[in-house]
Order: sequence, then structure tokens, then C-alpha cells
Amino acid sequence: MADQFIRAISVNEIVPGGMKAVELDGHEIVICNCEGSFYAIARRCGHMNAPLELGTLDGKYITCGMHCARFDATTGEALAGPVPVDLGAESPPPRLSAFLQRVADQMQHVRTESIRTYETKIEAGWVHVAL
Amino acid sequence: MDTQAKKNALHYFHEKVVTPLGFKFTPDAELADFLLEQEVALEAKHGAPFCPCQPLRHNRARDMQIVCPCIPFHREHFDAIKRCWCGLFVHQDVTDPDSLPQLPPKDVGLG
Repeated sequence: MADQFIRAISVNEIVPGGMKAVELDGHEIVICNCEGSFYAIARRCGHMNAPLELGTLDGKYITCGMHCARFDATTGEALAGPVPVDLGAESPPPRLSAFLQRVADQMQHVRTESIRTYETKIEAGWVHVAL
Repeated sequence: MDTQAKKNALHYFHEKVVTPLGFKFTPDAELADFLLEQEVALEAKHGAPFCPCQPLRHNRARDMQIVCPCIPFHREHFDAIKRCWCGLFVHQDVTDPDSLPQLPPKDVGLG
């Protein structure tokens, strides 16, 4: 069955460089305005499912706000995994240090997967998304 | 993860950082491509695109100073040799990167 385009949001709702989360027919989707071109990508980060609209969009690159995993908004391609925590010059107390090490040991098994994208088209000033 | 897509992303982000610092990617496209590929491998292994031409010491404070582009941490040295240590970035007026030797700080009166 051919994809069906669903009207999502007005093109005026997102400024260039902005993102907005919408729910269409049960799908959680983030619509990105990449310098005037609109792309739709699944809302959940391919690393740990954080909502991507809370991150940043720079050009066509989305950086997740939770662990800074990075994705290409046009293809959904995972470009980089999480960024290691920076504790600066301070060394944490021993118990916290042990806890952080345990978290790090578990996190290293978490893969960063590419995420699904959806076809979009602009019609009469509205962004339509193919589901 | 697709290596070429990651290289494109690194190129995009690096350019935003180095341009205001007065640097640009080396005109030697083959060298730039090779070095970016090494950075992609280093990022996949260590979580950050470390400089491919400097050793990791496993001392976080020191290692963070060689995350590419590391120009701000070695500004005086790189301005003196008109290139970064790898040669991935050169001063914006450079057209012949092969003419710039990789001189250590002590050879340009630093350190």
C-alpha cells in the first residue's frame, strides 16, 4: 500500500534550525526545519530513546540533549554515539565514582542505532508527512 | 554507522570552529579525507574525535586538549607553524600546505 501523506503542521510553526514534535496516527515524529527544508524523523533517539526535539538542530545534524548522540535528520543515520561525561578537574567522592563507573560499564553495551525517517512534502503552506 | 556520513558531519562542525580562528581545511583534499577517516575511527573507539597524530595519555585533562579541532589549546604553536599538528587545518592564506614543515614547539621558540 502506498504511503499516505498526512497534514502535520504549518510551515510557519518552525523557524529555520527549529524542531517540533507531533503525533500522527500513533507515530511520534519530530519535524525539522533544516534551513528551509523540512524533514521528518522518528522522535526517539537511537541511543536511549530520549525525545530528540529537546536536543539541537545544526544544519541537518541533530544532537540529542541527553547524551549528545548525533544523527543526520535527512537520512536518520546515526553519526556518533554518546559523548563521555566530563567531570572537569574535580574527582568525585569514591562512592559516586564507583556508581559512575558502574553506569559507564552498563552503558558501553548500549548501541546507537539509526532512526526512521519519513517522506515529507509541502502543500499550501503545510508540511505533510508520509506514513 | 556510515563512515562517509560521519566524515561529512565532522567536516561541517570542524569548519564552524576553525573558520573564526583564522584556519581552514587543508587544500590537500586527500590528506583531509584520510585524517577525518582516522578521527571517525577514534570517535567510534573512544567517544571523541581525538587528534590522529598525537598519543592518548589516558589523562582526561590532557586528552581533552587533543580533541579535534585542538587549535585553541595550542594556538601559539599552530599560529607559528601556520598549520595544526596533523596538517588538517592551515592558516586561511595558505595555498601550498606541503611547504609547511611539522615543527615541534621548541623549534619555533616555544616550550
